[in-house]
Amino acid sequence: MGNKQTIFTDEQLDAYQDCTFFTRKEILRLHSRYHELAPHLVPMDYTNEPDCKLPLALIVDMPELKENPFRNRIVESFSEDGMGNLSFNEFVDMFSVLSEMAPRELKAIYAFKIYDYNVDNYLCKEDLEKTLNKLTKEELTPEEVELVCEKAIEEADLDGDNKLSYTDFENMISRAPDFLSTFHIRI
Amino acid sequence: MALSKNRLVVSCPTEEQNLIKELVALSTTEQIRKIRELPVSFEEKKHVSRSNLIRRFGYSIKSVSQSLQLWRGIMKEIGGKFGSSVLNYFVLLKWLLLFNIFSFLVNFGFITIPLLVSDLSPNVSPNVSFRGLELLTGAGYFNYTVMYYGSYSNETFRGLVDYDMQLAYFFTISVYMVLCGLVLIFSMASSFKKNYALADAASNSAWQLLCSWDFSITNEKAVNQRKNNLRIQLKESLSEKAHRERQTTSEQLKQYGIYFGSWLLSTGLAVGCGASVFYLCQYEDEVRKSTYCCRNPEAETLLVPFVVSLMNMVIPLFFSLFNKFEQYSSQRKQIYALLFRNVLLRISILGVLCYYWMNTVPQKFTCWEPMVGQALYRLVIVDFIFLMLGSLFGEFLSNVIGTKIQPRLGVPEFDVARNVLEIIYAQTLAWIGIYFSPLLPVIQILKFFILFYLKKVSLTHNCQPPRRSGRAAQMKTIFIFLLFIPFFAGALSIVAYTAWSLTPSEHCGPFRGLNNTFSVIGEWIDDVNKLSSTQWVVWIYQNVIRSEIFYFLITLIILVLIYIFWQLIQGRKELIVLLRKQIVNEGKDKSFLLEKLVKCNDSSHASQTESRGRGKESEDLSSGAKRGFSRLQRSHPGHVGPATGPE
Repeated sequence: MGNKQTIFTDEQLDAYQDCTFFTRKEILRLHSRYHELAPHLVPMDYTNEPDCKLPLALIVDMPELKENPFRNRIVESFSEDGMGNLSFNEFVDMFSVLSEMAPRELKAIYAFKIYDYNVDNYLCKEDLEKTLNKLTKEELTPEEVELVCEKAIEEADLDGDNKLSYTDFENMISRAPDFLSTFHIRI
Repeated sequence: MALSKNRLVVSCPTEEQNLIKELVALSTTEQIRKIRELPVSFEEKKHVSRSNLIRRFGYSIKSVSQSLQLWRGIMKEIGGKFGSSVLNYFVLLKWLLLFNIFSFLVNFGFITIPLLVSDLSPNVSPNVSFRGLELLTGAGYFNYTVMYYGSYSNETFRGLVDYDMQLAYFFTISVYMVLCGLVLIFSMASSFKKNYALADAASNSAWQLLCSWDFSITNEKAVNQRKNNLRIQLKESLSEKAHRERQTTSEQLKQYGIYFGSWLLSTGLAVGCGASVFYLCQYEDEVRKSTYCCRNPEAETLLVPFVVSLMNMVIPLFFSLFNKFEQYSSQRKQIYALLFRNVLLRISILGVLCYYWMNTVPQKFTCWEPMVGQALYRLVIVDFIFLMLGSLFGEFLSNVIGTKIQPRLGVPEFDVARNVLEIIYAQTLAWIGIYFSPLLPVIQILKFFILFYLKKVSLTHNCQPPRRSGRAAQMKTIFIFLLFIPFFAGALSIVAYTAWSLTPSEHCGPFRGLNNTFSVIGEWIDDVNKLSSTQWVVWIYQNVIRSEIFYFLITLIILVLIYIFWQLIQGRKELIVLLRKQIVNEGKDKSFLLEKLVKCNDSSHASQTESRGRGKESEDLSSGAKRGFSRLQRSHPGHVGPATGPE
C-alpha cells in the first residue's frame, strides 16, 4: 500500500501477516488499539522491538473483553508469564486465534487452556464448577452446580478418569458445529 | 515453571530444525497455513517464517478486497449485540443481494446494452405517457421500455461482430441460472459438511457448559440476558430429568389428536389460500374483459398481489398460534414444523400463480410474456410494501405493546425464521421473473438494499436478543437447503417449462416466430454445422446433449456412486463405535498401570525403611519414573496411556 507508516518495518509486518490471520491494515489497527490502552507506556515506534507489556487490568478493560465472563482466563492463557501481562505480540496472537479465520483445532486448544483454571491439562470438576459459576452469575445452588458438572463430565468423558482431557474436549467440540462461530471475538 | 506447562515448546534447536525441514517440503501457501495454525506463541513462529515479494503482493490484494466488503461494520455491531443466529439473516440478505447485482450486470451488459447501442429500441406509442402509477403496476409506459421481454428484438446485429440477440438472451439467462444453481449446491454442501453433527449435542450439559457461550457478545445487557437464559435452560433440563415420566395413553391420544388437528388445519389453510388465489385470478380476468367503465382497469391488477401478500403476512400468525398449542418433544422440531407449514403456504400460492400464468395467460394475450413480467413486477413491489409494513406492525407495534401496554409480554425477539423465509420468497419471485423481465434484478437490488437498513434500524430499536442460544449453524444449513430445494429448483423448473413447452408470442420478444425457445439452439447448431472447423460442437450436441442413452448412463453411475458412499458411511459409523470402546479400554489400562506404579513405589518405600543404607537409588528410580510419566502426561495432552495394541 502507498501510505508510509513508521510503526513497523516491512519485514515485521510481513512476519505478522505470515504468522497470524490478520492483514496489514488490521495489524496497524490493532497497534493503535493497543496503544490507546496505555498511551504513555506503549511506544509508537516498534521498529526496534521494545519490550513493553501491559498489565491484565488494562487489557480486560477493552470493550471487546469487558463483559466477557472469561476475560481474565483468556488474557492469562495468552500471556507468557501466566499472569496476564501481554506484550503486543501476544496481544496480536490472542485476537488472531479468536478471529473468524482461525481453524477449529487451534481454537479448541486455546479454549481448553481457558477453561483449565488450575492449569493441570485436565478439566476436572472444580474447573467446570468455576466455569459454570462464571456463566450463571452464581445463581444456581451448589447442589445444582454439582449435578450439572457431574452430568457434563459423564457425557464428555471417554476414557473414564472422571475428568476431561484434551481429547475428550476436542471430541466434544467436533460435534458442536456452532463452536467456530461462538468462540470468536470481533475486533 | 509455569512456562512449559502452558505451551507446546519448540525451544530445543533440533525440534525447530525438524519443523523447518518439514515446512520447507511443503508449498508456500501450505507453509503459511501450517505456520498460522501452530499453537505456539508469535515469538517462536517468527523464527520459522520467511517472506518474499509475491506473498507481499498477495497480502496487499487481500487487504484491498477486504476494505471493499459491504457493511462490515454494521454486521460486527449486530453480531456483537444479538449473536450469530440473527446475524445469519443479514448475511443471507447480503448474499442474495450479491446474486442480484451479478444478475443485473450480466443482463444489462449482454442483453440490454447491445439493444440500446444498436438503436433498435421500440417506439413508444404516442398516447402513452409516464404516469406515477407505472411504478406500482409496471404496465403502461414501462411496457414499452427495455424492462420487459417484449421490447427485445430477435435480429442479429451486424457490426464489428455478428451479435445474435436470440442466442444472447437465451444463453445469458440459462448460464445465470446454472451458475446460481452451482453456487447454491456448493454452499449447501460445504455448510452441510461443516455443520453436520453426529449426535444432537445441543441438549446436553457438556455442550451448554463449554461450547454454547457466544464470545462475540459485547453488550452488557445482552450478556446478562444470556446468563439468565442459560441458568433457566439448565434448571429446565435438570427438572426435565426428574419429570421424564411416561404419559398416560389418554394424554398421548390427546397429543396425537392435537397434532393431527393442527396439521390438517394448516394444510387446509395453505390449500385454501391457493384455491382462493386461483379464483381471484379468474375473477380479475372476467372483470377485465367485461368492464370498460370509468374504474381504472390498471389499478385492478393490483388486487391479486395485494391479496397474496396479505395472506403471506397474516396466515403465518395462525401457524404460530397452532404451534403454541402443540407440545413437541424438542424445540428444534417445533421450529421445523412451523417452517414447513410456512413453506407449504408460500409454495402453494406461488404454484397456483405459476399454473395460471403458464396455462391461461398465453391464450389470452398476443404478447403474453410481458404480461407475466408485469404480474411478477407487481408482486415484487407489493411484497416490498408489505415487508415494510410487516416490520412496522411486527416489530415496532409489538415493542410498544410489550413495553407500555402489556408489559407481561416483554420486548419482542427478532423472528429469524420468518424473516429469512420472506427474503427467500422475494428472491424466488426475482428468479422466476428474470426470463420475462430481464431488468427485474434492479428492483430487487433496491428492495434488498432498503430492507437491510430498515431491518437493522428496527432490530436495534425494537427487539431484544434471542432467548435461546445455539443452533445457529444448523439453522443456516437448513436455510440454504430451503433456498435451494423448493424455491430455486421451483423457479428453475418454471423457467425451463416456459422455455421448453410454451410457444413464444408471435409479434414481440426475441423468440418471436419460433415453436419454442429451445429451437434457438437447434438453429444455431445448424449454422455451426456449416463451418467444418466446429464439427465437434455439433457432434457433442447430437450425441451427448440430445441422446437419451447418455443421461441414462450418467444416472446409473451416480446411483451406484451414492450406494457405494452410503455403505462407506455405514462402515465408518461402526468403526467409530469400535474406536470409542478402545478409548475407554485404554483409559482403564492407564489407570491400572498408574495404580501399579504407585504400589511399586510404596512397596519400595516400605522396603527402604527396613534397609536404610541401601541408598536412595530405588526411590529415585521409581519416583523418577513417576515424574517422567507425569511429564509425559503434561506435554502430550491426550496421548497418554501405555500403547496397548488393538483389542
